[in-house]
Amino acid sequence: MTKTIARKALALVLWLALPALLRAQEIKLPPDVEKLSAKAKETVEVNMDGPMLRWASKFLSSEDPDERKAAKLVANLKGIYVRISEFDKDGAYSADEVEALRSQFRPPVWSRVVGVRSERDGDNVDIFFRLEDEHMTGIVIVAAEAKELTFVNIVGPIEVDQLADLGGEFGIPKLDRKSLSKSVAKVEKGDHK
Amino acid sequence: MKSLRLLALVLCVPTLAFGGGHEFRGVVHSIESAYGVHHLHIPLLGVALFFVRPQGVSGLKLAVFENFETPTDSDDVRRLVESSLGPGWYPFVRVHSKGDPQGETTLIYASPSGGRLRMMIVNVEASEATVVELNLSDRAIKKWIKEPGEEAENQSGHASHRAHD
Repeated sequence: MTKTIARKALALVLWLALPALLRAQEIKLPPDVEKLSAKAKETVEVNMDGPMLRWASKFLSSEDPDERKAAKLVANLKGIYVRISEFDKDGAYSADEVEALRSQFRPPVWSRVVGVRSERDGDNVDIFFRLEDEHMTGIVIVAAEAKELTFVNIVGPIEVDQLADLGGEFGIPKLDRKSLSKSVAKVEKGDHK
Repeated sequence: MKSLRLLALVLCVPTLAFGGGHEFRGVVHSIESAYGVHHLHIPLLGVALFFVRPQGVSGLKLAVFENFETPTDSDDVRRLVESSLGPGWYPFVRVHSKGDPQGETTLIYASPSGGRLRMMIVNVEASEATVVELNLSDRAIKKWIKEPGEEAENQSGHASHRAHD
């Protein structure tokens, strides 16, 4: 009898904890990023989980308007995960490998809002938005240069016009406000791949 | 009398440099028991740390290990450090460089509380390791928030240079 009650209690606890467990399993860094990092000469990984972000938001200056905006945004985020991989020679990773990484962020959940390809420098930048019920709930940035690959995963609610404010904080590259707004406008019109 | 007190303080500082935070001692002891090595006894280390420290840093604790077989898999170190740190410590920055014969790994954990941030920095390279605990000032925290990767590289460089000096 006691065992049955204990089992039922355990099942109830597990059932109640399931959403939290599922959230905990949210992928911070896809396996492809790990695979590419393994080839790098140097990797830098920055992790900022929710409690750290809420705490850090208090330290962004209340005098600097840009930082104040970033603080507001950061306080609501669930996490920021950055992985920078530096390679010792060109061609250390193939375009197909990066494409395999990008292909994980596909519609209907993900929308690619920015895609820059530079044949001269070989620099490629892609920004993907995660949309749920017309609300942005995450951003992934993949920046591939000849000898450097940067992957940024921002998890949590975020407004489009707040996105540029986050550039330059937590190791996230600075984002150009004007071109970002143009790209976002295209997505909102449904003109995206 | 005043100079006697000062002398007593100076003599006590080496102990203070290694005393204090139980998490720091936990990480040091874990490395000692896992790799069969003892941290170096550096005379007057506490005094040196009191006078020579990066800007915005206080409560510096340092342990240096030398001449031992460091693990080739950086995940081993990560698991070891994480099992020694209690709740309230978050993985913050990890830098890994490949090298011959062995690379270098820097792990940084942060423990935010109220208006201060404690950091535990563990640096492992071929045959040596360094464990540093420190408190950051408001200004230093802002620098870390802006450029965590860059600060991590600077800090691990500071730690290994201090150990070599």
